[in-house]
Amino acid sequence: MDRVLERTPEGTSPRTFALNHQRPKRTYAGCSRIADYELLGKLGEGTFGEVHRARSRKSGSIVALKKIIMHHEKDGFPITALREIKLLKLLSHENVLRLEDMAVEHPTKATDKRKKPIMYMVMPYMDHDLSGLLENPSVHFKEGQIKCYLLQLLRGLSYLHDKNILHRDMKAANILINNQGLLQIADFGLARHYEGPPPVRGQNRGEGRRDYTSLVVTRWYRPPELLLQLKQYTTAVDVWGVGCIFAEMIVGKPILAGESDTHQLELIWDLMGSPTEENMPGWKLLPGGQGLTPRPRTGNLQNRFRDAGTGAISLLRELLRLDWKTRINAVDALEHPFFQMQPLPMKPHEIPTYEESHELDRRKFHDRKANLPPAPKGGTVGIGPDANGATAGFNSDGYVRNGGAPNNGRFRDDRRPPWPRDRGPPPSRPPPGARDDMDRAPRPRGLPPRGGDIDTYIPSYRGEDDGRRRDDRPRDDRRPRPPRDEYRRTRSRSRSPGLDRRDRERERVEVYRR
Amino acid sequence: MAHLVNPLATPAQLYNLKSSSQLPDDLQEVVFTTTQCLTQAAGLLLELPQSTTAQASVLLARYWLVDSPMMHEFSDVSAAALFIVSKMGPLPQSARDIANVYAYLLSSQSPLLRAEKPTGDNPAEYYLSESDYYAFQNRILALEARILYALSFNTHVSLPHPLAITYLQTLDFLGLGDKKDISARVMQHLNTALLSPQMLYVTHQPHALATAAIYCAARDFGAKMPESAWWEVFDVDREELGFLVVGLMSVDNIMRKRREDMPWMNEGAVTRSKVEAEMKQRGLRVGNGTKRGNDEEDEVMRMMDSR
Repeated sequence: MDRVLERTPEGTSPRTFALNHQRPKRTYAGCSRIADYELLGKLGEGTFGEVHRARSRKSGSIVALKKIIMHHEKDGFPITALREIKLLKLLSHENVLRLEDMAVEHPTKATDKRKKPIMYMVMPYMDHDLSGLLENPSVHFKEGQIKCYLLQLLRGLSYLHDKNILHRDMKAANILINNQGLLQIADFGLARHYEGPPPVRGQNRGEGRRDYTSLVVTRWYRPPELLLQLKQYTTAVDVWGVGCIFAEMIVGKPILAGESDTHQLELIWDLMGSPTEENMPGWKLLPGGQGLTPRPRTGNLQNRFRDAGTGAISLLRELLRLDWKTRINAVDALEHPFFQMQPLPMKPHEIPTYEESHELDRRKFHDRKANLPPAPKGGTVGIGPDANGATAGFNSDGYVRNGGAPNNGRFRDDRRPPWPRDRGPPPSRPPPGARDDMDRAPRPRGLPPRGGDIDTYIPSYRGEDDGRRRDDRPRDDRRPRPPRDEYRRTRSRSRSPGLDRRDRERERVEVYRR
Repeated sequence: MAHLVNPLATPAQLYNLKSSSQLPDDLQEVVFTTTQCLTQAAGLLLELPQSTTAQASVLLARYWLVDSPMMHEFSDVSAAALFIVSKMGPLPQSARDIANVYAYLLSSQSPLLRAEKPTGDNPAEYYLSESDYYAFQNRILALEARILYALSFNTHVSLPHPLAITYLQTLDFLGLGDKKDISARVMQHLNTALLSPQMLYVTHQPHALATAAIYCAARDFGAKMPESAWWEVFDVDREELGFLVVGLMSVDNIMRKRREDMPWMNEGAVTRSKVEAEMKQRGLRVGNGTKRGNDEEDEVMRMMDSR
């Protein structure tokens, strides 16, 4: 350090260099007011919040406003929302949904003392979510289009992983797409910082560094190691989700629609082969693997995706590798030969545009709302039972009611929701609802879900999609439900749920154009 | 990059602080520094890592650039800042724990900011009744929302401490023996800067604070530094460094002086009522006449709400 650089690589003095490379100046100002936005109607509403479309009066841009509902005000501002906002503010990547602003709505009457201000998250408006888009029968992705989306998805994910962030809720419903062909990852309600080095090109992910809660990731997209309750998981959990989304884009519907955690594992073994010491070393040692003796089989991936071509199959095989330690990472996946093969990935602007499609648009949320599941408790994002001992002296305060220790490890079978029972073929497309941790909380389904365990917040547009699954449940199951769903009373109850939904869908003018 | 920088105060915010504040400069300084001391003490009692407590201090400083300190009881703002930061970090604290700690720190039994240490132990002094607790909790939650709103949810705080370690390593000051003393002193300077009434953490970026702390520590121990303008390597120019060094060194003296001027500062934590009393003594007024009545009404409403 006793020598000063006389010249920098750019040929200027160090001082000029420093001035030219100054850190950006940042400041902060208060939140916007809701009056800064012109509301253009509700996009939808779920258990976790309403989403409105709005136009910014300042910039004229169209945005989505997501309301943050305060469910248990006892604990103040919802911790998941707080963490998500903090994370989003630190991120900046074109394939990650941007948080543009926070807007506040004050109660109109000043005399109304009990009414609290309402907060909205302001995000760019995106025309579709991937799940909603795939659901439309007239939409068929071309191979080049799939490659284009997948590339963007992997870029966004490798950015997140590089920033030491686990997303922990990868699923088609959380992937937003606009008519310019841009894809963005949304919903960071379950995301958290992870310890350890980010994935490196060409290297296996290896073992995790520390324990995290395994109550994450929607079931249909949940990797086998989580289903077997590995706690020291890694970024590989998100990669599995990408594999599921990729396959979903190929076939047009979720490929692993398990009805319970046990069933989910069976589906995975069907697809990728039953676990052995070779293809999934150490699986027997995982808490969930101990009593398990799956029927030996080889996996039908090859057969199931034979129309997709060898490139796609080879990449799928890497993304959906049972062994989490050698599963491909996002950086390497970007360089997979699949993307070099004909047809080449389309450029975003070449992708056909569609009439906007949100699940919420179709107002399915009416059905959905009925089921307010025991949401991702704080536990899922780190203040829960197994949040690494961080909760000492905390649970006792009612902070994480439901996340309490008893939850741990016994969520397997005893609180499986009853819906799958009298269902015929798997639902055409009820994506596994929302955070799936929901269906594991030890709570009788019929009861009105209330209490300290609802962590109230799902950031993607379609927030709560658990209801889709609900559609397939016998009606009476959700009948006796107190005041929360008064709004439903107005609707006819006699129609069969499936029909009901389809009808409404038609009404909603779902004209998709190429 | 976003991880390494902080949002800073705008010139307008700093101007407002001085011009529209109801407090004279010296009282404002006293309020700021003693409240930050309170935050630090609470962080210690709650056994929070210093990084958490430091972030709470920075949030509090950011908040007071937006709202006048006299709007709320100082200890409440301090507690709310700790509550928010701990909630986002790995060690969330319950409102109950925070309430207990602040009740103790504000009681006559706490040695904090007291010239004469209290003798004996009388737990009744800091016993918190259920209704007091609910009132406290309501105030904290209201303030939480208020602070988040005022900061536009910019709750990420980048601290200079880790940067300072990297810089020390670069300068080959990290190690055992004398080097250890220097490293420790750097951290002490950085923590002192949190208390500085000049609000250094909202006027300067972490890299500048880290560099200045290293400069001060090296000077304290007479360590040999590079002859050249080494701070430029860390993106700090001479002027900024000079300002920060003076700022870091002056905290102690300022507070010593204020304590001599205002003996009531040695009688426990500074509260709004003490500041108002001092203002009255000086013939100054805080707020306008109707303010008090409203507060009482609010209080009644809150009590009814909490039932």
